[in-house]
Amino acid sequence: MSYKDGIETPVITEAAPILEDGNCEPAKNSDSVDQSAKPESKSEPIPSTRKRPEAKPSSDLETSEVLPVEETVSKDVPQTGWGYWGSWGKSLLSSASATVATVGQGISNVIEKAETSLGIPSPSEISTEVKCAAGETNAKESENSSPIAGPFGVFSTISTAVQSTGKSVITGGLDALEFIGKKTMDVIAEGDPGFKRTKDLMNRNATLSQVLREAKEKEELWTSSEITMETDKKTHYGLLFDEFQGLSHLEALEMLSRESEIKVKSILNSLSGEELETLKLELEELKEAFSLGELCEEEEEEKEGDEDFTKEITELFSQLHVSSKPEKLARARNTAYEWIRTSLTKPLAEKGGGEEQLEAENTEQANKNSIEDIHAFAIRSLAEMTACSIELFHKTAALVLHGRKQEVTAIERSRTLSQMTVVLCKELSSLSKKFTSCLTTEGVKEKADVLNPLITAVFLEASNSASYIQDAFQLLLPVLEISLIENKTESPRHELQGEKPLSEH
Amino acid sequence: MTYAYLFKYIIIGDTGVGKSCLLLQFTDKRFQPVHDLTIGVEFGARMVNIDGKQIKLQIWDTAGQESFRSITRSYYRGAAGALLVYDITRRETFNHLTSWLEDARQHSSSNMVIMLIGNKSDLESRRDVKREEGEAFAREHGLIFMETSAKTACNVEEAFINTAKEIYRKIQQGLFDVHNEANGIKIGPQQSISTPVGSSTSQRNSRDIGSNSGCC
Repeated sequence: MSYKDGIETPVITEAAPILEDGNCEPAKNSDSVDQSAKPESKSEPIPSTRKRPEAKPSSDLETSEVLPVEETVSKDVPQTGWGYWGSWGKSLLSSASATVATVGQGISNVIEKAETSLGIPSPSEISTEVKCAAGETNAKESENSSPIAGPFGVFSTISTAVQSTGKSVITGGLDALEFIGKKTMDVIAEGDPGFKRTKDLMNRNATLSQVLREAKEKEELWTSSEITMETDKKTHYGLLFDEFQGLSHLEALEMLSRESEIKVKSILNSLSGEELETLKLELEELKEAFSLGELCEEEEEEKEGDEDFTKEITELFSQLHVSSKPEKLARARNTAYEWIRTSLTKPLAEKGGGEEQLEAENTEQANKNSIEDIHAFAIRSLAEMTACSIELFHKTAALVLHGRKQEVTAIERSRTLSQMTVVLCKELSSLSKKFTSCLTTEGVKEKADVLNPLITAVFLEASNSASYIQDAFQLLLPVLEISLIENKTESPRHELQGEKPLSEH
Repeated sequence: MTYAYLFKYIIIGDTGVGKSCLLLQFTDKRFQPVHDLTIGVEFGARMVNIDGKQIKLQIWDTAGQESFRSITRSYYRGAAGALLVYDITRRETFNHLTSWLEDARQHSSSNMVIMLIGNKSDLESRRDVKREEGEAFAREHGLIFMETSAKTACNVEEAFINTAKEIYRKIQQGLFDVHNEANGIKIGPQQSISTPVGSSTSQRNSRDIGSNSGCC
């Protein structure tokens, strides 16, 4: 199994090349694979533990600011700039809290598994390695005063993350800090993605769908260039997410969001005086409804019943007063639960015979639900649920923009949507918990270095999924803003709303 | 699974002309007589082979309802190809073509290849728009033209594939900048395509293949 050789290797050895990456442009183009193969080769055999895809480090910070349009990057430069993507960083932080919720709530054995799989080094190891790394990159960082310049920067950024996350932790508390600590290790251990994530907080210049698309393309490239088993493809979150049309819906949602944002801006520009101030206040209120932090305070006990999620999400949807229904999402989710249920009953029957041999042939076992199967299905389910959630957000955006008469105010809708985001993230986290406990049950005889990476991967993708959903949720803000404005200004300013009369064509 | 290029298509036209049915027939090879109204946009994807090259078509099937018009316009951007569909049994869907065309031209790249499709060719007895009229409209506006039936699958493949051929031809001629995603074309992973060489003699004009092939 490819997982064996990859995941436990480590840790800090990667820190040095990666930190360098941050300062000098890493070879990212496909034609320079050879160069980049070295630092990346260690992580490559573990496609399943891919971190949240990161924005392309479009050369170093300074250059990208001076030359925003780089031909080689061949991506649209977002026209909206920093302000628009301000949500990015925020949701990264809340993604941590979503993950925290997953782990913090229990299953200590799973945590332990995850912990060991992270390969946490001893503090002394860290400090020596860090010094080492710092020394190597010293020359380059000296001119760069940003907090991400050195290895300690990673620490400090993460601790800021802890602080800001603290407020919005979904189920929160000390468990959160405990896991953030682990996350920190994770960041160091996995170096590259974590570092880039941190860097993203500083350098938000890619749209979410771009980021995801690149991740998917990387996976496509990986699957096509390596000789991989057919089954390996099943664990590529990005490819699966695209297969479920998550990427397309996300891109479409971005388009609606961007247009709405432009409209809002032009309306604001056309107003002045009191009118402008009133509107600004209302928009501010709307924005507040989009901060997930508030809603997270009302802690709910964990939902065990299967019907609850479907009921809850359906109820929330009806509150939105859009004609879209979350059936697809509910179906995807129920399929996952059904699968887990049947998979959990199976191992009991099979245990008797295989016990002795398990040790020897744990990788080749043709067991119907091997841990690899569970892992693959978990990744698939997460990708599907996330894609469905984003589709729902996209449809909601379309319907909100489409709606003439509104039975509910934009603010009410925003609150509902924000509740919905929380429900979805919680659901993903409880689903991932179910999958990982499934893995621990089934893989009890497996070696740690086989089982742990799989568990880690499930948690990671669940955490990523939650971030995608939260980012997609933020894309709805401009849509709700325009809806608020339209609802408020019935006739007098209708022509300013940018929406052409339907009879025009 | 890997591909040389990815083309983004949009399908546009009045409500009920069979846009979603065309997509379903193309991606799933089946026909579903009753469809929910499309909200905003739906998606489909399929791989096709043009000149030995794998090309992934990513298709945006837009809502045809008038009330969605301002929303669907947002989706046009970055499309390399458009299927503009009317229903041969309903003249008003043909009459609205000009406004759809205007919309398409205004909101997308000037190089976008547009295929005009007269759908429901299986309903010959109820025909309301002559084939020649479709052809004339296409000629006048520089479109490719085909009559199709999403129900019998007649010419459906051809419509999607001929559009891809035309886009591919334009790429070969250097009319499309494949590195600019605003054109609705992406180079597949692992491809490192250098600038396309100018058109060679081996290229046929794909317009020839269109309207006279098939069963309609």
